[in-house]
Amino acid sequence: MPSFLTRPSLVASLAACSAAVLSLSACAGSTADSASGGRILVIDTTFNLKSADPGRQFEPTGQTIGKAIYQTLLTFKGGDVTKPVPDLATYEQSKDRKTLTLRLRGGTFSDGSPVTADDVVFSLNRVIGLKGNPSFLLKGVTITKNDASTVTLTSKEPNLALPFILANPSLGILNSKVVRAHGGTETSADKAEPYLNRHSSGSGPYTLTAYSTTTQVVLQKNSKYTGPDDPTYDKVILRNVQTPTQKLNVQRGDSQIALNLSSDQVQRLTGGVKVLSQTSSDVVFLLLNQDESVGGVTADPKFNEAVRKGIDYQGLLQLAGKGATQPAGIIPSTFVGSLPPSEATGRDLEGARAALAAGGLKHPKVTLSYANDTAVGGLTLQPLAERIQAQLKEIGITVDLAPGPSATELDKYRAGKNQMGLWKWSPDYPDPSDYLVFLPGNLVGLRAGWKASADAELDPLVEKARLVTKSEERNAAYKEIQRRLNASGPFVSLIQPSRITVTAASVAGVEYNPVWTIDVADVRTS
Amino acid sequence: MTFVLTNLVPGDPATANLGEQASSDPAAVAEYRRQHGLDQPLPIQYARYLEDLARGDLGQSQQSHQPVLTDLRAAVPATMELAALAILLSLLVGVASGVVSALHRNRLGDHVLRVLSLLFVSMPTFWLALVAFYVFFDQLGWAAGSGRLDPGVTAPANVTGLYTVDAVLAGQWFTFWNAVSHLILPALVLTAHTVGLLTRFTRSAVLEVLSQDYVRSARAKGLPERTVLVHYVLRGALVPVITVAGLAFGALLSGTVLVESIFAWPGLGGYAFRSATTFDLPAVMGVGLVIGTIYLFVNLAVDVLYGVIDPRARVQ
Amino acid sequence: MNLRLLKRLPPACRRPLTLIGSGVALLWLLAGLAAPLLAPHDPLAQSLPRLAGPGRGHWFGTDALGRDILSRVLYGARVSIPLSLTVVALSLFVGGVLGGFAGYFGRRVDEVIMRVADLVLAFPTVILALVIAAALGASLQNAVLAILLVAWPPFARVARGLVLGLRSQEYILSGRLLGFSAWRSLRVDVLPGVLGPLLVLTALDIGNATLLLSGLSFLGLGAKPPIAEWGSMVADGTLQFDSWWIGVFPGLAILTIVLAFNFLGDALRDALDPGTAKTIGTAKEHAA
Repeated sequence: MPSFLTRPSLVASLAACSAAVLSLSACAGSTADSASGGRILVIDTTFNLKSADPGRQFEPTGQTIGKAIYQTLLTFKGGDVTKPVPDLATYEQSKDRKTLTLRLRGGTFSDGSPVTADDVVFSLNRVIGLKGNPSFLLKGVTITKNDASTVTLTSKEPNLALPFILANPSLGILNSKVVRAHGGTETSADKAEPYLNRHSSGSGPYTLTAYSTTTQVVLQKNSKYTGPDDPTYDKVILRNVQTPTQKLNVQRGDSQIALNLSSDQVQRLTGGVKVLSQTSSDVVFLLLNQDESVGGVTADPKFNEAVRKGIDYQGLLQLAGKGATQPAGIIPSTFVGSLPPSEATGRDLEGARAALAAGGLKHPKVTLSYANDTAVGGLTLQPLAERIQAQLKEIGITVDLAPGPSATELDKYRAGKNQMGLWKWSPDYPDPSDYLVFLPGNLVGLRAGWKASADAELDPLVEKARLVTKSEERNAAYKEIQRRLNASGPFVSLIQPSRITVTAASVAGVEYNPVWTIDVADVRTS
Repeated sequence: MTFVLTNLVPGDPATANLGEQASSDPAAVAEYRRQHGLDQPLPIQYARYLEDLARGDLGQSQQSHQPVLTDLRAAVPATMELAALAILLSLLVGVASGVVSALHRNRLGDHVLRVLSLLFVSMPTFWLALVAFYVFFDQLGWAAGSGRLDPGVTAPANVTGLYTVDAVLAGQWFTFWNAVSHLILPALVLTAHTVGLLTRFTRSAVLEVLSQDYVRSARAKGLPERTVLVHYVLRGALVPVITVAGLAFGALLSGTVLVESIFAWPGLGGYAFRSATTFDLPAVMGVGLVIGTIYLFVNLAVDVLYGVIDPRARVQ
Repeated sequence: MNLRLLKRLPPACRRPLTLIGSGVALLWLLAGLAAPLLAPHDPLAQSLPRLAGPGRGHWFGTDALGRDILSRVLYGARVSIPLSLTVVALSLFVGGVLGGFAGYFGRRVDEVIMRVADLVLAFPTVILALVIAAALGASLQNAVLAILLVAWPPFARVARGLVLGLRSQEYILSGRLLGFSAWRSLRVDVLPGVLGPLLVLTALDIGNATLLLSGLSFLGLGAKPPIAEWGSMVADGTLQFDSWWIGVFPGLAILTIVLAFNFLGDALRDALDPGTAKTIGTAKEHAA
């Protein structure tokens, strides 16, 4: 029997509560600073957090925390993800783009010991060995230690994306001695997660002092941090707060940053707060299943064309608010390799009806599946789905909505059982190669019943994109791939919602980054 | 039973809990299944679960990556604190107004109280929470915000897990008042339904006792009205009222599922909802066990109270 | 209503609250039936300005997709009322039959059925219904099923109690002695004596069923969009605190209809003899 269920505690609580009732009047709010010393930054966000262990976490909140407590080999400056810059190491890539040499340039763990090549090799091999969510990042990559401060990463094929991948907080560098001492290994026998959920073991600007996946995470400034730009705040509290409350809290000064508000929610904001609307790198798309046995009518190219032309993209952007944009292809406008906005599809009601007529499709009926607990920034998929339903009705397509919690819907989507699906792709790393998953025979392509070599014209383009070693040629190849996808692929890119960050007037330096949302160490007082 | 129920669900925990890329990697899926014991046939999984249970181990939550017991240790006191305050308020207000209502039978006060109690019983709790939060927090700013404490206020050292009690034990009065201020609004919202329930029930219980022979004879003997009321009527009416209070506690726990999400209260209701919709089987089973245990204790408390109030029950 | 007709009703049904209750319930029934005629807009049309406050053209305001709340509230009556009635009717049937069997046959049957009933009663209704609904998948049918699974035990208890009382009555014993089958005896002799009180319990439970159903929808485990359902409309409101009208009006709709049902249920209970009323009273609190 757990001790908290015993009767004495119940009786005690009753007594305490009755005392409380007698003095209802004495409830007053307090400010964050009054209870303890130092500068405190309170960030409200809806938690998507499963672990604080870099090798195991791959969720947005985990990435934000990971970014604060661990340093990665390379990083991005602010929100600019088009160019990786040195963090723990400087880098150099060979001509054939198969070898990446990293030279460590200092860095001290929170226990005072220096970051060494052994720590790097251990941390990266551990990510691969754990076979967890982020393991795919280093698929096909071999890690070798050259000397105490140099490490080489070798890939079998040209890997232009690797520098971009290395900035991912999941690849944060751990203090190998400490982690090994707490059960850490480079294999799935690793037992270090409970330890890493209580103590951080990195060289980042903050250390972990309290951790809960449901209430709050508390970070304390790392006094041993040697990186650039000493952080301003001594203590950072990330709280799990629902969006309506996030708004009220930031407005009242209970929190300094709110991360998940929608554009509708910030419309009537008062109280001298700053609203930052930036285009996110998440792409919301429609999936039309190409497997006749699953999709039926959705496998028909004419139906595909009708849907593309029947959607009123502007009407969807209206729901997503300021900062949202329509991506011209599957690669978000914020990344290299994206198509220019001028190539985006527009609404063409006549064309859509004509396509249906040409295909002999009279009053087609389809089922649209999506996860109703998924939000991109503050925007949930729910209103989008309802609006798509209304828009397609105008051209004579009946859409039945089939929402469910991610737990069940993801399963069906990933098994390729959606006739029509509404999903989003959040980049794993900001490089166009992350979007190869949408091609025939690949991860998301298969979810749309698009089997390998289903489109003969795509194969040579993909081959080219994979093997070229020059960035410009590669970007051109990705653009060609997207044009082909727009013409006949099973995906309709709908919108990139906006990422709205609301901050108190006293706060500056907040910038949205598609990988780790915000870098708390960058936040300053204004 | 909880085990069977939670294993009938259609979702696959492995695909539901892995990331986009990892879910397509057979190695990662196999590893996930191995770690959570999902690679074993169901009877073996069940045997393992029972075995762990006997050792007091409820397994690990797939959502929080923590032992379910750790999660529950945080969530249960949060809800108990709320529910205890709410049931206390309900009993005070509900029994008092029930008695008043019965004594003023069919007069104005009775009618008003009856309509009010029925109104409270008919109110959707989740809606009341929304309205209360909007009015008292957003518009008027009277109530403290969501959560159990203001941000920056550290939780008191964990003894019982009830912040109010722990704060008193640690002598942290500031923290105590802060915890109380956060408790009040959600507790009042939860109270509405049970107050209605208890008022209605107390009224009919008192009316029934009033019509009993022993009360009539007590009055006939010329005992003061006060004595009759306290010693005969109230005592007689309390037995059924306590039964209902036990049941009302269950209604309160139900209410927490709907209310906790609005007040961001990190309690059992929210945990149950999250676990159920994400098919976090160990967590759902843990919640089932805890609630069963709470019910057991509430029933025990009800039985003990019977003995205190009604001497006849003690003999039995 | 004709005054003489009024006088023929039992006293409990002549009280003002009862009349108000029936009036409100009747209004909602009519509103539900005539929703297409009464609603100023198509409840699904997304043509109005988004998040507009109550005013001319849309008295209850519009939601995040620019739909008319008033029209959606009216159409919501077509979902909540029939489904709540279905749930209690099913609970009455399942609980009544199981409880009847338990009481009539006793022993093993009684033991098994009442154990299961106690097990269900040992869990808070919403939490149990939530787990079942989540396991079955979100839809109105599954929500109805989930509520049925948690709502039948009080009916079974009352039915069992009544049947136990009747079983020892002479006319039933003599029927059995005459060689009538158990089925005939249950149907002809027992049923009429049990049905009245059970129907009252049913009336008392409609309000609860409505609350539970809208609660599940509020949690996203009931009505599927874009159906206008009151519970899910309140849930929409929680996302837009500033636009209070989104959540407040459908909540008021739930409140008024549940209140009306409860007024009616009370009146019916009071019309019964006190003994039966008490049995039902206890079972009713159980159901809550």
